Amino acid sequence: MSSSSLTLPASGQAAGRNRRLLEILGGASIAATYVYLVLAQPTDITNGLSSGSTLLALSGFLLGAVLLIAGVLPTIPTSTLVLIPVALVLNIVLGQFIGSTLVPFYLDSIGTVLIAVLAGPAAGAATGALSGIVWSLFNPTVLPFAAGAALIGFLAGLAARYGLFRRFYLAPVAGFVTGIFAGVFSAPIASFVYGGTSGIATGAVVSAFRAMGDSLLSAITKQALLSDPMDKAIVFSVVALLVYALPRRTTLQFPFIRRHRVLAGAKTS
Amino acid sequence: MLPDSPAAPGGLNPLTLLSAAVVIAVTTTAINSWAVSAAVLLLLAALLSLNGLGRKVLPAAAVIMVPFWLSLLLTHGLFFHEGRTILWTAGPVRVTAEGLEFAAGMGLRTAVFVVVFLAFSFSVRPADLMALLSKYRLPPQLGFVLCSTLTIAPAVSGRARRIAQAQQSRGLVTGPGAGGRLRAVRQQAVPLVMALLHEAGSRADSLEARGFGGRGPRTSYREVPDSPAQRIFRWLAVAALAVFLALWFGPGWFTPGGVR
Repeated sequence: MSSSSLTLPASGQAAGRNRRLLEILGGASIAATYVYLVLAQPTDITNGLSSGSTLLALSGFLLGAVLLIAGVLPTIPTSTLVLIPVALVLNIVLGQFIGSTLVPFYLDSIGTVLIAVLAGPAAGAATGALSGIVWSLFNPTVLPFAAGAALIGFLAGLAARYGLFRRFYLAPVAGFVTGIFAGVFSAPIASFVYGGTSGIATGAVVSAFRAMGDSLLSAITKQALLSDPMDKAIVFSVVALLVYALPRRTTLQFPFIRRHRVLAGAKTS
Repeated sequence: MLPDSPAAPGGLNPLTLLSAAVVIAVTTTAINSWAVSAAVLLLLAALLSLNGLGRKVLPAAAVIMVPFWLSLLLTHGLFFHEGRTILWTAGPVRVTAEGLEFAAGMGLRTAVFVVVFLAFSFSVRPADLMALLSKYRLPPQLGFVLCSTLTIAPAVSGRARRIAQAQQSRGLVTGPGAGGRLRAVRQQAVPLVMALLHEAGSRADSLEARGFGGRGPRTSYREVPDSPAQRIFRWLAVAALAVFLALWFGPGWFTPGGVR
């Protein structure tokens, strides 16, 4: 698998700086939108949720995801880039299937986490964001969660970078921690944009917390903290099983795996 | 998505469709009233049925919206303790008028969002999208990921079916219990992922050999349909949306008291 372009490189110093700027702006847009939503949340929902917050959440997260993609995508080598469509298909097919069952999980990030483990945090974040945007062509309701999917890909890549996939029992732990971040991140989106969750099983969990007298945001956050860490622990374990089941020859083709000794027993180069 | 065919001259540009979809979705979300959303939804359904798109878009939207509506009804219809007008109560369950109104508002607003964007994706061609992306100098990688995902999805499901058949002919029997099922899943998932990674590797070599990683400007052989009238429509739509949002939210909406 070739990892570098066969064409001669152009003098790309300024282009590199611009890309870094896009990445920083994208991250800042997502972070600022999240902070605004959490700080300025309307506490009383009897008057209807603020439609301004909804539009702000939609545009801020979408802008951030698009900037991240524009910044990261051109830096990804072609050998990794061709894996992204495969990852997206895995995400969409599994996510669609699990979403239609009565299980309060999602399992819609197996492809994203797989790319993150094979190719690193930046590729993982871009795959997550792209997954949200491409999937929204079939199901527009996933569009606002693109930024959250980017966060999952980024954290999975970091976990692989720091050796959490070297021991099999550490992978679900890393998934659990990633799930806590993902749940806390996606709960304001679900509550401000949709006023609830999109699945019946997750909706039942939310209504159970509402019945105990929680506010909408805290009920959705608690549901997310129940579903997301378990979901990501399962996803990380599945991905760990998968990468260890692949032949060493296949996994060692990825420079990220060689450089950071992501998998147990893999030699550094 | 439409099947790939030569672009029809005089057809609609994807950007025109996208700007119309954004204007409809953003205004109904900003107005945030179930009556307005219901009216827009009915209008859209009528328009799509006349257009012939209704038969594809409306069932696809229903598949997404029915579980979402049920979830909203479960959450807000039965337990909405902020509600004051109680219609029916039994134990912890309290059906309130405010809860039902909230569920209807959110459900219909989201339905408009889903229907307009599904209508958009059912009426554009992937090749047109790719030509547009290269016209506006967006990273060519984006167009590749978008179109490649849309085209390999059926190939992947076909391959998964063939692997399952091959394993069954080798004597794969799904064993009893969770363990047996897991083993069966593993015996199908590992060859599938391996084959996909291998294919992706040879695709990377072919792309590189054709200068995909090059940084120069690209040209597209495909002409995306466009017209001066469509260009004017797009600018007017975006300007009207900006003016509407400025007037609707007014200057003071950022302060908590001014939040609508």
